[in-house]
Amino acid sequence: MSFIEVSHTADVKIRACAPTLDALFSDACDALMQVMYGNSREGGIQKEIEIDAADIESLILDFLSEVLFVSEVEGIVFSKAKVQIAGLHLYARLDGEPFDKRKHFGGTEVKGISYSGLSIGHDANCYMLDIIFDV
Amino acid sequence: MVILHVMPGVKQINTYEWEVPVGTVANMRVPGKFFLSESLGKILEPGAVQQLANVATMPGIIKNALAMPDIHWGYGFPIGGVAAFDLTEGVISPGGVGFDINCGVRLLTTPLSKKDVSGRRDLIDQLYQAVPTGVGSKSTLRVDARALDGMMVKGARWAVDNGYGIPRDLVRCEEGGSMKEADTRAVSQKAKQRGVPQGGTLGSGNHFLEVQIVSEIFDDPAAKAFGLAKNQICCMIHCGSRGLGHQVCTDHLKVLEGATKRYQIKLPDRQLACAPIGSPEGRAYFGAMAASANYAWANRQMITHTVRQVLARMYHIDYEDMPLVYDVAHNVAKFEEHMVDGRRRKVCVHRKGATRAFGPDAPDIPVELATIGQPVIIPGSMGTSSFVLRGTAIAMERTFGSTCHGAGRVMSRTQAKKSLSGREVVANLAKKGIIVRGPSDAAISDEAPEVYKPSDEVVRVVHEVGLSHRVARLEPLGVIKG
Repeated sequence: MSFIEVSHTADVKIRACAPTLDALFSDACDALMQVMYGNSREGGIQKEIEIDAADIESLILDFLSEVLFVSEVEGIVFSKAKVQIAGLHLYARLDGEPFDKRKHFGGTEVKGISYSGLSIGHDANCYMLDIIFDV
Repeated sequence: MVILHVMPGVKQINTYEWEVPVGTVANMRVPGKFFLSESLGKILEPGAVQQLANVATMPGIIKNALAMPDIHWGYGFPIGGVAAFDLTEGVISPGGVGFDINCGVRLLTTPLSKKDVSGRRDLIDQLYQAVPTGVGSKSTLRVDARALDGMMVKGARWAVDNGYGIPRDLVRCEEGGSMKEADTRAVSQKAKQRGVPQGGTLGSGNHFLEVQIVSEIFDDPAAKAFGLAKNQICCMIHCGSRGLGHQVCTDHLKVLEGATKRYQIKLPDRQLACAPIGSPEGRAYFGAMAASANYAWANRQMITHTVRQVLARMYHIDYEDMPLVYDVAHNVAKFEEHMVDGRRRKVCVHRKGATRAFGPDAPDIPVELATIGQPVIIPGSMGTSSFVLRGTAIAMERTFGSTCHGAGRVMSRTQAKKSLSGREVVANLAKKGIIVRGPSDAAISDEAPEVYKPSDEVVRVVHEVGLSHRVARLEPLGVIKG
C-alpha cells in the first residue's frame, strides 16, 4: 500500500506515490476500495474497464467513478487493479469478490470523486497524486 | 480573529458579518460575504474562504457569494454556500449542489413522551432492523423501473400515492416534495441502475435516523403552529438521493466540463464546471438534478413510512398521530423569485449545505404557517442538540431566503479515528442516556459529537443575525447511524 489518508475536515483526502503512472492509478483504486469496504478484500471475480479522457485528471476521475459504479451496481469489492495507461487511454483489469456485509463493514460510502484539490505530478523518483473523495 | 491572518483581504463589517472583497482571487464579479462569530472564526479553514471567493467569479452571480456560519471546506462551493444567478447571464453548476442532490432532513412528531422511550433499546433495535443503513445496503421495499420513474417524476407524491404516507405530509415538504422541472430523459441508465435497489435506504456517513425529545421551546406560538410541545418525542431523518443523485452529479459534471470550455467560461476550480442556465447542457443538468431531488423526497417519505410502521406496531398509535413538521433540502438549486435592487426577479438559487428559510407570507409555505414562516430543521450530531427554527423576512432580504444547514465538521476523519474509538463514543453517549446503533465502530467514531462544531453556536449566529429564529431545541435519545 503506497497511499495515505491526509487530514481533511469534511471529506477523505488521499495522497499516493508510485514509481509509475499505472501503479499510481492502481493505488488510487485500492484507496477507494479501502475507504468503502476496509482492508479485508480478496480476489476471484474479474472485471475490465476501459476509459478515454481529454486529460490525465479526467482519466483518473472517470476511472475511479467507473470503479465506484461497477462496485455498487454489481456488488463487487475489488482487491486489486492492474492498470495500463497509454497516452490518455486506460485499460484496467480488476480482481474482486462479492460484497459481504459481515466482512466488508466499517467503511464509508463514497459519493463521488472531486476535481477540487485533484493533482497529479511527478519528480525524478515517483508519480504523486492528491485526490478528494466526497463521503 | 484567525481569519484576518489567513486571508489578509477579509474585512469585518459588523459583529457577525465578514466580506471577501473583489480581487481576493482573480476575476471576482461580486464580493463574498459570510456570517460567523469569533469562536467559529477560530476553526474556519482558509480553503473555505478561497472557495467562496471562487464562487464569486462565476458568470451572472447576483449581489454576493454567500456563506452561512457552518461554512467549511468542501469541493466547488464551500459547504454552507449560497449563490443566486441571473436567468439570462447566469450559470448552473453541480459544484453548487454537490454529489448528494437533495440531501435533506425531516422531522416527524409522535404523541409519545420520555417515559415511553427511555432506555427502550428495543425501539432503537427495531428501527435499526427496519431501515436499511450503511455501505452496500439494499431496499426491503419493492422498487422497480416503473416505481423509479414515479419517484423521479413525482417525488414524495409518488410515495404517498403508493401507500407510503398521508396527503398532509406533502403540504409539509419544501416544494410539496416534488420539483416539476424533473426530466428523467436527462438521467442516465447508470444512475437509474443505482437508484432501483436503494429506494428507502438511509445510506452512510453523516446520514442518520434519530429518536429525539423536545427539550426547550423558544417561541411558543411558532412551536404550537409547527405541532411541537416540550417533552414530546420526535423522529428526525437525514438522508439524500443515494447512488442515483451521486451518479447524476458525476455524469453531468463531465458534460458541463465540456460546456464550460464551449461557452468560454473561465473558472478557478474545475469542480465549478457550469453552463448557461438556458443552454441545452444547463437545462439537462437542471432536469436531472430535479429528478434526483424528487427521488430523495420519495426516499425520505418511504423511510418515514417504515418508522411510522415500527412506532405504530410497538406503541399502538395511529399513523395520523405522527404528523410531519417539515422536510427541507440542503443541497439543491431552484428557480425562485427574490427582491433584487428593489425589483422582484426570478433567479436560480444554489444552496450547498444551506437550508431554505422563507419568511412569513413567502410563496410555497403551508397556508396555516403563513404568518409564522417556513419551519427550518437543523440536525445536530449524535450527542448534540438539533433545532427547529423559522424563516424570516431578513433571510429573504439578505440571503435569498437561506440559513445554515447543520453543525459542520471541525475534526477530520483521520483525526477522529486516532483520537476516538467507536466503543468509547458509544459508552460516553450511553452515560448521557443516548443509545447508538451503527454498522461499525469506525462509522460511529467518524461521526462522534466531538468532530462537529457546536450546533448551538451556529444556530445562535443565524438567530442573532436574524436569518432564522429559534423555535425549539431537540436532544437525541436514540441514534441510528448510516
